[in-house]
Amino acid sequence: MLKHLLLPRLLDLVIVAFGVSVIAFLMIRMIPGDAVALMLGANSEVTPQALAELRNRIGLDQPLLSQYLRWASAALHGDLGTSLWTGRPVVEEILANIWPTLELTFLALVIGAGLAVPLGCLMARRRGRGADMALRVVTVLGLTMPSFWLGIVLILLASRLLPGFASLGYVPFVENPFGNLARMTLPALALALPILAGLSRLIRSAMLNSLGQDYIRTARAKGAPERVILYKHALRNALIPFVTHLGITAGYLLGGAIVVEEVFAIPGLGRLILGGVSERNYPLVQATILMVTIGFVVLNFAIDVIYGLIDPRLRH
Amino acid sequence: MKLFDDRVLTFAAFLVAAEIALALCAPAIAPYDPLAQSIAARLKGPSAAHLLGTDQLGRDVLARILFGMRATLLDCVLAVGFALGVGGAIGIGAAFFRSWFERLAMRIMDVIFAFPVMLLAIGVIAMLGPRASSATLAIAIIYTPIFARLLRGPALVVCEAEYVTAARAIGASGWAIVIRHLLPNLASVILVQTSLALSSAILVEASLSFLGLGAQPPMPSLGLMLAEGRNFLMLSPWSAVFAGSAILLIAFGFNLLGDALRDKLDPRLAKA
Amino acid sequence: MPVNLRCAALIAFAVLALVHAEAKTAIAEEASGTPLPIAIDSSPAGLDPHIVTAFNSVAIVSGTIYEGLTAIDNDLQVVPSLAESWSISSDKLSYTFKLRSGVTFHDGTPMTAEDVVSSLRRVQSKEIASPLASRLIAVSEVDALDPLNVELKLKEPSAPLLAALAGIAIVPRSMEANKDALQKSPIGTGPFRFDAWQPNGFILLSRNPHYREPGRPKLAGLKFNIVPEAATRAVGLESGQYALLPQLDAATALELKGKPGISLSQTLELSNIVIGLNAARAPFNDARVREAINYALDRQAIIDAALFGAGVPAGPLSPVLKAWALPVSDFPCYHHDPQKARALLQQAGFAQKTKLVLRVLASRQDIKDIAQIVQAELAEVGIDVELANEETGQFVQNWRNGNFDLFASANAGGADPDEFLYRAFHSGGSTNVFKYSDGDVDRDLDEARRLSDPAGRKAIYDRLQMKLACLGPIAAIAYGTLFSAARADLKGYEVMPNRSLASLREASFSP
Repeated sequence: MLKHLLLPRLLDLVIVAFGVSVIAFLMIRMIPGDAVALMLGANSEVTPQALAELRNRIGLDQPLLSQYLRWASAALHGDLGTSLWTGRPVVEEILANIWPTLELTFLALVIGAGLAVPLGCLMARRRGRGADMALRVVTVLGLTMPSFWLGIVLILLASRLLPGFASLGYVPFVENPFGNLARMTLPALALALPILAGLSRLIRSAMLNSLGQDYIRTARAKGAPERVILYKHALRNALIPFVTHLGITAGYLLGGAIVVEEVFAIPGLGRLILGGVSERNYPLVQATILMVTIGFVVLNFAIDVIYGLIDPRLRH
Repeated sequence: MKLFDDRVLTFAAFLVAAEIALALCAPAIAPYDPLAQSIAARLKGPSAAHLLGTDQLGRDVLARILFGMRATLLDCVLAVGFALGVGGAIGIGAAFFRSWFERLAMRIMDVIFAFPVMLLAIGVIAMLGPRASSATLAIAIIYTPIFARLLRGPALVVCEAEYVTAARAIGASGWAIVIRHLLPNLASVILVQTSLALSSAILVEASLSFLGLGAQPPMPSLGLMLAEGRNFLMLSPWSAVFAGSAILLIAFGFNLLGDALRDKLDPRLAKA
Repeated sequence: MPVNLRCAALIAFAVLALVHAEAKTAIAEEASGTPLPIAIDSSPAGLDPHIVTAFNSVAIVSGTIYEGLTAIDNDLQVVPSLAESWSISSDKLSYTFKLRSGVTFHDGTPMTAEDVVSSLRRVQSKEIASPLASRLIAVSEVDALDPLNVELKLKEPSAPLLAALAGIAIVPRSMEANKDALQKSPIGTGPFRFDAWQPNGFILLSRNPHYREPGRPKLAGLKFNIVPEAATRAVGLESGQYALLPQLDAATALELKGKPGISLSQTLELSNIVIGLNAARAPFNDARVREAINYALDRQAIIDAALFGAGVPAGPLSPVLKAWALPVSDFPCYHHDPQKARALLQQAGFAQKTKLVLRVLASRQDIKDIAQIVQAELAEVGIDVELANEETGQFVQNWRNGNFDLFASANAGGADPDEFLYRAFHSGGSTNVFKYSDGDVDRDLDEARRLSDPAGRKAIYDRLQMKLACLGPIAAIAYGTLFSAARADLKGYEVMPNRSLASLREASFSP
């Protein structure tokens, strides 16, 4: 049965990876302004010959199709190319930037999802009462707070209230665990708030939804304690939309991470991509998008499998 | 069941109506031309002449916020409407038809969905040139796969329900099943997700403007005002604070409205 | 659940306390033997001094990692650097440089005449495709006479050569054919040597213990932190995490002014903010329309608004070049006169209906603000302008291809007037994107290059400035004030008009 479930999805994964690679390749090239013109800068003295030579040197004078084929076949052999600007292998650049983002998203997910479950339960239980109303308003506010704005406000607040706390930049956890946490707390909070708000509302809705179902009424009629009803039956049912949403949240996280990384000066994937786009660093952007999206697709693949496990109705 | 005995719903409906009215009436009620500069009076706090103060070029913040709300609302409603129509149709279609249609449609959605949101937006906008309409299209494209995926899951559950398989077995037409069974059962998801999408679309628009990819200066846009205002935060925070509050308020209103409506209308919810 | 919440709150509090204590000790440590923490806004595009010419890259490498034969001092005068002296033949066609002895590269190899020859050849080589090549356009031959003497032979006299050589780094001869190595691991002769680069994080340089001047540099090293957000840089300086912000915009400078423990320094920029006009297209192919634009602009109002008063109205040359620049009061068109502008437009038969596009380099808030004011001021004289705010890559492409009606951006200047004027206004100039072509201007520029007598050059440049200020393809707006903020105990650092950080060689912390 597992084979039956996995094989077609694996094929899908390959198709999506191919689609992503084509779009990533074309998109960055369709953006006006090319790497060479940028590399030489606005104020330098450049002759058209110099431009042509540089273009030739990095292979940009080839037709698009042959550029793509060359890149794709190298990528299949595990060679994602070298950065146009620094000349370092792209994989090296990605590895240097991937940990801060992973840590940031992990922390944000833990904070966000971890607090969302109890908060959502609380709101569902107290539906229509003061606590629910207040929390609904607060979560909506949290959800609608732009993360770049929140980040700047957090930095300014921290610098006023806790001078010395607003540690910026990044140190690896293994080098200095406390320094690492000191620097990651605020950005993770800024990133987690919208997740927390969104997920807790989702849990509330889903739990209210399942509390109206027949089997809950049956359980109540049988005299099951309210705690059991709430956490065992209702919450378990609420997990389906919750898990789906987690997959989507992972997508949000990278987008949110771009802005939060900018504000907190964290050297992560978001900034790598953003910088790569504005520098027209084609190999770097292509490879990063490819790796991020494949990671994302694999994650959602895993979620689909979990989905099947939670809800047996979807198994076939 | 009376619709307005719920205080949250009444409040949210009133808030949204007020916001839409303000946006529609912006040209009539704005105290100044949103583009008129007055360098001598720049970066001032609220006063009798300028109720919400002035920005870095001495333009009236209130007038810019009113016109900015108008632009933001229009762009986001268009974008989310498009995404709901296209994405919703794809998601429900996938659940209903299954087989190759589901595979193909959902894989295409996956490809789009797998792209980081900001990057997709940056790519689309860079290709079309930075202006408000490109941002609208970018937001619409971003939300299309989200609606497709969000609706497909619940739609699948409904399609597999016994009463639907029974209806199919006795030869009910596809449209009848979609209209009689699928849409009512999906209404709560659609309502919640549209409200969420609208409020987060406003934030995406703000983020795009923050990166200089949305509405272009000197046109008033809430995200742009917030982004520009942050450069002068410590000198005069007014423009940024009020623009930020306006974004919050619009997103807040839509969010609360959807939330409350859902609470009210969904027959399957437990009654308080 | 209340118990759980209380537990969580306790844990959170404990973590916060720990983290807070740790952050404090981290900052205390930085005051002693660790590198000077500097915050800059963007990553360099590589560290090969012959390939990257963008401001942010040059600032990191020039004068810190690399040095040239000559250098430019704080007063923008040419002074000796790796060459301790030079002599020029009477026909001005041969320059002989005497190198300092005992200079070594960071990899330990000695720096000799051969390295100088191969560095200059590297810049001229087609393989490397260096954008600096045009600065050596007059150089026909470079020879090592002996290990410490180098001769440059010229095709024709070149007055700006000595200033141009300051921007050409001397690198080991092994690099002559190597296109990639220096981009990621630079090797020079400067006071600091390259240590580590965490992409988007920081670039770390450490003290060069074998630097040619004993006792220099005093700092243990330099750590360039890449911090894109201006507010974050300011907070980082206030909280003590960064000790130097080399470049500030006027608004941030105003905010930091008077804060305890922070010292602000400032100088006038060598580069200016300009409105470029496309001389190859209607309506700006008509000199009267270009002149009208100048009359329509109120430069002082623009400076007051967008630069918070921190700057001066600009002519074609920066007032920092005291020996060359004419005062703007000499240019009649710098007097704000909308009436005159309208009259000129009418004479030129300018059609009110034309909608022109002003392309704006959107990476700088001050330029975006200036563009909005310019738009309003031009509307007043009946010129309808639409703004197109463009991201750097797009802007540069359109700029280089001459695809614009008007543009707003910043233009770098040089220590010698030839550097900017020739490349921008000569019909064959490398950044003459306006396609401006004027026979008299070309002749003057060529002649000023060949002359070596300063008074004669000055007369020609005066004539050029008078003409270009009002009728040229650039309506210069302002030279901004360049602000720099540092922790108050950082001594010896001086902000330079060309944004160079070379003075960090002399800097130290005083207790």
